[in-house]
Amino acid sequence: MFSRAYKSAITLPPLFWVATFLLTPYALLFCYSFWSVSPAQIIVRQWNLENYRELLRVSMYPAVLLRSMRIAASVTALALLLGYPLAYYLSVHAGTRKHLLYQLVVIPLWVSYLVRAYAWKTILGSDGVLNTLLQYFHITHHPLGFLLYSPFAVVLTLTHIYTPFVFLPIYASLEHIPRRLVEASQDLGAPPLETFWRVILPLSIPGVLAGATFAFVLSLGDFLAPLLLGGPSGVMISNVVVSLFGAAYNWPLGSAISFCMLLLVVALLFLTERLEKRWSFS
Amino acid sequence: MTRARFLLLLAAGLILGGCARKTPTLNLLVWEGYADPSFVRAFEEKYHCKVFASYMGSSDELVAKLRGGSASTYDVISPSSDVATSIANAGLVAPLDLSKIPSYNELTTRLREMPLVRWNGQVYGVPFTWGPNPLLYDTSMFGSPPQSWNVFWDPKYRGKISVWDDLSTVYMAAQVLGYDRPNPAAIYNLSDPQLEAVKSKLLELKPNVRKIWSTGGELTNLFQNHEVVAAMGWPLMTNQLRKLNFPIGETIPAENTTGWIDHLMITAASKNKDLAYKFLEYMVQAETQKKLTDVTGYIPANPGAARFMTADEKKNLHLDQVDEYQKHIYFWQNVPRRAKYNEIWNEVKAAQ
Repeated sequence: MFSRAYKSAITLPPLFWVATFLLTPYALLFCYSFWSVSPAQIIVRQWNLENYRELLRVSMYPAVLLRSMRIAASVTALALLLGYPLAYYLSVHAGTRKHLLYQLVVIPLWVSYLVRAYAWKTILGSDGVLNTLLQYFHITHHPLGFLLYSPFAVVLTLTHIYTPFVFLPIYASLEHIPRRLVEASQDLGAPPLETFWRVILPLSIPGVLAGATFAFVLSLGDFLAPLLLGGPSGVMISNVVVSLFGAAYNWPLGSAISFCMLLLVVALLFLTERLEKRWSFS
Repeated sequence: MTRARFLLLLAAGLILGGCARKTPTLNLLVWEGYADPSFVRAFEEKYHCKVFASYMGSSDELVAKLRGGSASTYDVISPSSDVATSIANAGLVAPLDLSKIPSYNELTTRLREMPLVRWNGQVYGVPFTWGPNPLLYDTSMFGSPPQSWNVFWDPKYRGKISVWDDLSTVYMAAQVLGYDRPNPAAIYNLSDPQLEAVKSKLLELKPNVRKIWSTGGELTNLFQNHEVVAAMGWPLMTNQLRKLNFPIGETIPAENTTGWIDHLMITAASKNKDLAYKFLEYMVQAETQKKLTDVTGYIPANPGAARFMTADEKKNLHLDQVDEYQKHIYFWQNVPRRAKYNEIWNEVKAAQ
């Protein structure tokens, strides 16, 4: 069909891309994670397992990782709760307004992440929109402190940012469900809830899994939201990595954490892919 | 617009941009306030150049940036007394030819004679300003200035305190625990058990901390938005908040505080050393130093700056009693176990 020259010409650029921008950096990261920093703050290329031992020795690292996973799980759950009904409504009930609504969901994706994070700051702050309103209507007498600089603010912002990422794959999978299957279910006398439960939901599981993976992985590795809105108790694992690569100047330890994160994410992707295959409609 | 036309325009823009960069440029990596237009613009006009400034949030950030390979990106840096020595020893900055900085001899003798930036008989930095890390407080929330750093731990101020994302917060806790007595330098040489105690003390502080600030602008905003009522800060922020008519107070509590002597240095990799020398000379001239204090509220290294000040301005800068003022400031020193200090501070930051 295609000549060999054509085939290699078409595979080389992506191969080059993957090797240069993916494999090499990861290999470097892997190497760094076995090196160390001398007291004079110079990275020494001496192979050892000290960094990984450090991760197990200092209880802070697993604790922060667990907290990050908790935050990511909350974000995923909330984004699913918001994204699924929205996608379902758009796919089934929106009719002619479908395209308009679709655009409205997607447009925020074009707004810079930073702008959206700062927007939440002005809404949630002590002098912010929400606290001013609450005090105006005498619902509270003092500004509510937990709204900003807290894990709550991080979960809220990340949910806002990643809900479209959950919505899109779910919407796509709902759109791909053949109408005849839904009609068959109805013709056979299933009430709407049962049709949803036994036909639509199972067929949309691949979309749900894809969306949930997006939301979980992206929020797990997020560092801007906790940096800007997290406050002293909302630090996530990426903030620790940023600090290790920055002010603390401990690239090896930072690499070790990053590598563990990478393994975690790859395992997760592997798992969800297996699940998606099991649920996919064929 | 078609994509081809867009690409063409983009290419044209890049080429034009490349040609326009003929004006010499000077890249600074300095503390906030050290590249204010009020004095930098005159320098740009005089030497027909452009000054680009990046700001650092802590001494460790500066060291990490230089170590991490950006040393050649910057021409001039402004390390403080804590890392100036190690930066000079590491060969990251060039030894200075003092004959190119005529105003150097006008600087306070005591600052010039410090061994901080002298190594192998050469001088690596020009001291140009110094100051404390004072306690800043919202005067509308405090009847009188807080007498002690202990006020940060007062349950009354839960979620109303901010501290700096810098080892200075570690030093402060060590002072509160009394480790600075009898020898103030001890806070820069804490033992492991002492560091553990400092860590516990800082963990106790966490419920009171609203946000750990990492840039001067961030702390100014935290005060303005009434997120915090007291913090460790810099005189720069006091100055900025007063200009905004914010009721800000500044004090050095009974335990005293840490402070810094900032030096200008030229990076070894700088390709604009001539222009960099002119900048150093300009920055330590008496007139620039006066403008610098107007912006920052820091104490000038060139006593000649006082010639341009009113009696009130001199009093505000404590120039009438410098020796007495310095007794309350423990100037940052090289911390031999800096990595350990950073580890403790990182653990405090990451804790729940």
